This record gives sequence, C-alpha cells and structure tokens, in this order.
Amino acid sequence: MSGQEMEFASAGLGRRDFLHASGGLVIAFSLFGAADATLAETADAATRSLAPPPAGRLYAWLAVHPDNTATLFTGKVETGTGVATALAQIAAEELDFPLDRLDVVMGTTSETVDQGPSYGSRTIRYAGPQIRHAAAAGREALLGLAAAHFQVSANQLATGDGAISVTGKPDRTITYGRLVDGNRLNIEIGASGERFAMQVAPNVRTKDPSTYRIVGRPVRRKDIPGKMTGQFTYVQDVHVPGMLHGRVVRPYGVGATLVSVDETGLKDIPGFVRVVRRDNFLGVVAETEWGAIQAAAKLGSTLDPSGPDAGQAKWSDWEGLPEMERIWETVRKTAGRNSTVASQGSVETALSSAGRTLKATYQTPFQMHGSIGPSCAIADVQGDRATFWSGTQMPHQTRHDMAKLLGIPLEKTELRWFEASGGYGRNGLDHAVADAAVMSQAVGRPVRVQWMRWDEHGWEPKGPPIVQDLLGALDKNGRVIAWRHHMWVPTTGDTHLIAAELIGKPDVTGATGLGRPAVTYAYTFANADVAGHGEGRVGLLTAWLRSPAQFETTFAMESFIDELAAAAGQDALQFRLAHLEDPRAIGVLKAAAEKYGWESRPIGTGRPDGSGKAARGRGIAWVNRDDVRVATIADVTVDRSNGAIKVGRVVVAHDCGLVVNPDGLRNQVEGNVIQSLSRTLHEEVAFDRAHVTSRDWMGYPILHFTEIPDSIDVVLVNSGPEYPAYGAGEPATCPTAAVIGNAVFDAIGARLRQTPFRPERVKAAINT
Amino acid sequence: MPQNFTLNVNGAARTVDAEPGSPLLYLLRDNLGLHGPKFGCGLGECGACTVVMNGNAIRSCVTPVSAVGDARITTLEGLGSIDNPHPLQKAFIEEQAAQCGYCINGMVMSAKALLDRTPHPSRDDIKLALDGNLCRCGTHMRILRAIERAAQQGA
Ligand code: FES
Ligand code: FES
Repeated sequence: MSGQEMEFASAGLGRRDFLHASGGLVIAFSLFGAADATLAETADAATRSLAPPPAGRLYAWLAVHPDNTATLFTGKVETGTGVATALAQIAAEELDFPLDRLDVVMGTTSETVDQGPSYGSRTIRYAGPQIRHAAAAGREALLGLAAAHFQVSANQLATGDGAISVTGKPDRTITYGRLVDGNRLNIEIGASGERFAMQVAPNVRTKDPSTYRIVGRPVRRKDIPGKMTGQFTYVQDVHVPGMLHGRVVRPYGVGATLVSVDETGLKDIPGFVRVVRRDNFLGVVAETEWGAIQAAAKLGSTLDPSGPDAGQAKWSDWEGLPEMERIWETVRKTAGRNSTVASQGSVETALSSAGRTLKATYQTPFQMHGSIGPSCAIADVQGDRATFWSGTQMPHQTRHDMAKLLGIPLEKTELRWFEASGGYGRNGLDHAVADAAVMSQAVGRPVRVQWMRWDEHGWEPKGPPIVQDLLGALDKNGRVIAWRHHMWVPTTGDTHLIAAELIGKPDVTGATGLGRPAVTYAYTFANADVAGHGEGRVGLLTAWLRSPAQFETTFAMESFIDELAAAAGQDALQFRLAHLEDPRAIGVLKAAAEKYGWESRPIGTGRPDGSGKAARGRGIAWVNRDDVRVATIADVTVDRSNGAIKVGRVVVAHDCGLVVNPDGLRNQVEGNVIQSLSRTLHEEVAFDRAHVTSRDWMGYPILHFTEIPDSIDVVLVNSGPEYPAYGAGEPATCPTAAVIGNAVFDAIGARLRQTPFRPERVKAAINT
Repeated sequence: MPQNFTLNVNGAARTVDAEPGSPLLYLLRDNLGLHGPKFGCGLGECGACTVVMNGNAIRSCVTPVSAVGDARITTLEGLGSIDNPHPLQKAFIEEQAAQCGYCINGMVMSAKALLDRTPHPSRDDIKLALDGNLCRCGTHMRILRAIERAAQQGA
C-alpha cells in the first residue's frame, strides 16, 4: 500500500468502523434498564449507514478502545482556533481520562452528530455543554460497568486517569479500555432539540467547575506537532484513488453568460481529460494538477485576463457591478428593511438644548477572508451516491446542500471532513465542494478541485461595504445627551452557491438574507436612536467574515465616542467610563488601562510639539460581542511626511468567561489583533464593473512581518470556573480599527473615518 | 512532453515523470507525496510552498522542475517528524506557533535557511527574512518567538 492509499484508507474508515469491524456483541447494560438489554446487536461494516449517529446514544459521542485510548466524536470542526483541543479538554475532564489519550474525530457526517456550523464563536459556548454532558454520561456508564465487574455498588468506585478502582482497594483497578473490551457504547443517554439548541444527556450530573483539573489549564494543541512536520492531512492533501484534478474557469464578468468554448490545443496538454461545461459553469479535468492548470489557462483562467474573450472561452459582455468609488451611495440607496437597536428618550428634543453637536459618516469597504490555502474539495459522484471530502465549517449543512444540488438522496451522501487553511467565516470552501460535485457528476470519477489564487480572491464571498451616519451632542458639562447611530448593512449571510447559479439552478439551495445592525449598544445616553437598514446582496456575493459587520460598527461607534470625548476635552478612558454601567465592560476597560499604565489626559495632548516628522499617540476602544467584552489599547507612531502608521504596543483585556485553554485563547486573541490590524491598515477589495480586480496578494495586500506590532499583551478577565464560557473566536477583532484611528487622532489630530488607513488616506486626513 | 527527472530530495534520489515546465511544487506534493510544501498562490507571493534548495529558501510554485537539476532540495519532511522533530520544529511546537498552520511550512523553511546563514539573527533580521511569508491567522508573534528560541538553542 502506498502512503497515499493508506491515507485514503484512514480517511474512509473511521474509528467507529474499526469498532464495528472488531466488535462482536455490543454490551448489554442491564444497569441502564431492561430495554437496553435487548439492544445487543452485531455490527457490520459492510452496511454502514451514512446517516449521522443518533445523538441520544453514547456511541455517537464516544468510543473507548481496548488499548485504553478513546475517541470523542463531534460535528464541530477545527478552523485553526484550537477547538479540537478545547473540546477534548472538556470531554477528558468529565470522563476523568488522560487528555493525550483522547483523540477527536470532527465533522464527518456519518460519524458525528450535527451540532450546527462552527461559526460565530459558538463552538465552546454551545457544543461545549453538549460534549460535557455526553462525557459525563460516559463516565456514569463506565462506573456502571465497573460496578458489575467488581460486584460492588457504584458509589464504592472512583474514576481517575482512565481507570476505575474500588475505593480503598488500589489493587482492584480496571482501565476503561478493558471494561469496554472493544464494544460499542450503545447506551441511551437522551438528547432533544437540534444543532445549537440540542440538549444531550440532560439529567446527568456534571462536575462542579471549581474542581476542574483539565479545563482551565493551558495545554498544547493536539494538531500542532503534525502541522509542523508535514504529517498533518489537510483537505488539500487528501488523495482519493482514481481522482482527477479539476480547475474552474469562472466567467469574466460576474454575471456573464458563456458564449462559446474553443477547445483547440487542449488535447495536446499532457494529462488533459476533458472540458466540463454545463450552462455557464465551465471547468476542466486532467490527470495532473499542472495539466488542469494549463488547460484552464487556455480557456481564460489567468491572473490578469484582458477581457471577456481573452481566452478560448468567450463570455458575454457583462458590466453589472456598481461603481466602486460610489459603492456607499449604492448601499445607502438599496432597498431593505429597517430595524431598531435602541430607542431612548428623544434625540431631536435633546439637540435643541445641546451645547455642541457633532456629525460624522464612517465608510468601510468590501473585505475578504483571504485564506492562505485556496479552497479545495474532492467529490466522488457515482450515480445516485456521492462522497465529498471538504474542509467546510458546516459539514452537515453542506451534505444537505450537495444532495439538493446533485438531486440525489441524502441517505446516499457522505461528507468526510478534513481541516483546511484557516477560513475566518464562509470563504470559498462550500463553493469548491459544489464545483467538485458538478465536475465529478459530469465525468463519473472522483474530482479534486482546488481554486487558483485568483478564483479565491475573485470569488470567495466577501464581507460587505457598510456606511454609517453618527450624530452626537454634548451638554455644557461635556456629557453626551444625544446619540444617533444609523447603519446600512448588506447581507452577511448569502449562502447561495456559485456553481448552482452557474448551472442555472440558483435557488436549489441557500438564501440571501438581510444584513443586520450588528452592534451592541451599551452606553447610557439619555437620548439614543440606534437603527439599522438591512439589505440583501449589493454587488458582490457576501457572507460572514470574522465578526460580521460588528468589526465595522465598532469602528464607527468607538471612533465617534472618541470624537465626542475629544470635543469635550476629556480623557478617552474616563469619558467612556462616565457613560457606562455594564460592569464587565468597565472591568475590561480598567484591566486594559491598568496593564497599559494609562494616565488620564485629554485626547491629543500627549503628542510632542510637532518638531519631528513622527508623532506618537494612543487609542482605546471596547466591544460587547455575543456576551464577550474586549477592550484594546494601542500605541501608534504616525509619519506625517508619508502618512505611514506603525503600531507599537498593544494591550487587550478579554472577558469571555470560563477559559478552557488559556494558551489557546491567547493565540486566538493575538491572531484576531493582527488580522484586524491588517483589515484596518491595508484591506479593500477593488472591482470594476465586471469583476473583482484584487486577484492576488499584490492587488489585496495584507499585513507583512515587518509591520506587526512590537508586542501584544493579553489580560484575561473573569476567566475562572464560576463563569459560563462564551466564545472567543472573533470578538477581539472588533475594537482594532477604532483603536488605531483613535490613536492616530491622538498623535496628529486627524480623524480617519474610512478603512483601510492607507498612507494616502492618512495624508489626505492630515490636510483637511 | 513529459520526461524523467531525477531529483535530490531530502537526501534521496527521486525520479518523477513530468513536463519540464511543471512547477516543482506539484511534483513534490502529487508525485512524491510530500505534503509539507503547500499551494498558496502559485505566484511566488505568499511563501506557503517554500522549500530549501542548496541552502536558499525558494518558492517551489514558480520553480520549473527543469531548473532544479541536481540541486539539494529539503522539504519540511526532511527536517524531522513528530517523533523526532528538528530543533526548529520543536521550538515551533513549544511556542505553539500555529493556528491553522497552513503557512507554517513556509515559516519553518524560511527560518531554516536564515539560521543556517545567520545563526543569531536579530528580531529585525527575522522579520525581514520572513517578510514574504504571509500568515492570515496572525500567528506572527509566536513564529518570531519560536525562531528566536531555536536560535538560542543553536538550531
Ligand atoms: S504558493 Fe508559492 S509563493 Fe505562494
Ligand atoms: S497559521 Fe493559519 S495562515 Fe498562518
């Protein structure tokens, strides 16, 4: 067997199959009621069901192997944030099992329960309790087995480190592995509800959090060693025997139709197999990647195509995108639905008695996820059966979507999940699997599709452009007496599939949705009017991108507060504290300030007299995203002569409740800071009337090593076991743009109201 | 037309059947099953595909196999394994210097070339040497620390 085939074998045959294959009789747990005694069954790998396992059975979550290792099964997936390890910590804690002997199987639809997509910082918060309860039920079940084994009552037993002993009799000890003896844990533990709302083993007793020994301890991530040595299998690395390599050839204009395809010369490309054409969907398949890349290039898939008929595939002239320079006007004018976030007192009445009124408009552009590894998937469609290999963040949903797209029964589809390059939201992964599905269905062989860099940059769903109007008024004591924040937000949840649109079945699956005013208004202004205008698709396909819309709304809210504080001649921190009651918000602001060594002074008064070219400033901002509070402070140096911003020290205070893996969390927070700094300083998707013109890293630069901050200090607040766990995948992204903008103002007195803060924009702000 | 090329990869002679213009990356990954080097852009812009060739960190995605000759190629797999990691890999593990890890091949291989040339680089030396390696997850602080740790330990 070659290495590649072995990889496939382990991809195809899950741990549970080994149990099926090796198991004989499944244990009949008389302790768990008479009904369970009848559940003994002979497992048979050949008739493996492709349906997800039933959530109410212990084996859906847990397998214990004869060598006293165990496997946790979860429908959640790893996206680089470390949740595989954190979920394992939660399970190991309740199970009293050594963490390094607990393996995690994620996402594969025939082996895991659908616990909802892995997005929105929701994995620890929602799947954590489900797994905690399943593992606690597992421990109870093992105690039951041990009681029978030792002929004692369960309360004479103690669990520890994967073994059970009779209290006071250390020689009477048995490992979990020997107790289970290779059998499947076919025990009813009970489950109700679905996905995020699912309750698992609701009646089981879980541990008192104050006794936690594994949860809350910094542990090394399980996935990292393999990622350092090339031994980790990403979805990009999966090899299926007999597979072809596919590449897509996208329309020149986003909405263009395919006029003709000239196949001249394609047959001369070594390894070329054929063109796949279905309506406006165009792709090529070949025996080698290089063959597919060359064939796709001939048809027009290149970095810089010069027009709709530059390649051998000819597209209609389509120029239906809105004008880039005026995108915010377009957003403003787009029809949508209004919604109210906060309505307090009367802003109009307050304005009539205001000492000073400020107004500002904030604009943010389309931005992209920008995964380093372009989206990739394999599909093997054989008649009415299909298997997919994908790194999607929503494997169970994508399985449903693929069945619909192909028109095949759900029971005959399976998605095998493998980790991809970090996604940060809905990037191209779900679209690549649809591309592979269409191509495999056409050629009857497994097809691996990897997008080219320009496919990813050009066609991944973007974060939308947002425009926001703010108005604020101060009384003569410098207190805010009126606050208005209106935001226009295109959808961040368009789940239509590109391949479906191209094959002429746009609505076979997915929905467009409406943008939401993603803001948590938490100030205590007497008169406030906070409202959103939610829209559908505006120009480009848009979906969730880390902290959807709230990165942008926090930029506006926390910059404008700073504008008011500056107008009132006050200190940025004290001004916020004076208008806040939320104790956790106050907590993170104070914790960040303490770590930083914040000294009170009016905004803009710390800067040197302007004798040098470079000026230094500091900025602060905070957010409440999904019950997590984050406050960030940063120092910047601004070069007046060229507009360049250099970020020095960054301090983040983070309150997401109980922290499962403190080192994993710090890693996340640092990542959020650097990525959002990149979005703040550099990132804007460019497009003309036909398509996205930011098609590579030159056209869409991101932060480079030489631009990273000098340091990032992370302070964890309220992270102990007495607090519930909220999610931490994205909140620390939110404050960054406001922090940097505020620091720039503090340094040079110029206010930045549009991202990215590229040097030209900074220079323009200096001159106004 | 495809022809045979004998490459010197991780200290062994490996023969591949390939078109002369085919980038080295696809041959390493698809023909030789070496998945350390990754496809990121195919344009020489991100560093995900980095391998060390005769001591230099190069972008295998834009290096045609015909240009390789008998140059010594080292991939991530050639440094070490989970059971027996190279000191650089060990330092990356100790610093937990990865999130998704897709960029890490390029970080480790670029660092390898740097440390072989400059065993005690300054922080700025490291930043400069890695400036062409993109990381979207924002793991930079840890990557820096890992390379500094490896340098201290004389990797
Ligand atoms: S893949 Fe080679 S530099 Fe990006
Ligand atoms: S760790 Fe994900 S791109 Fe660097």
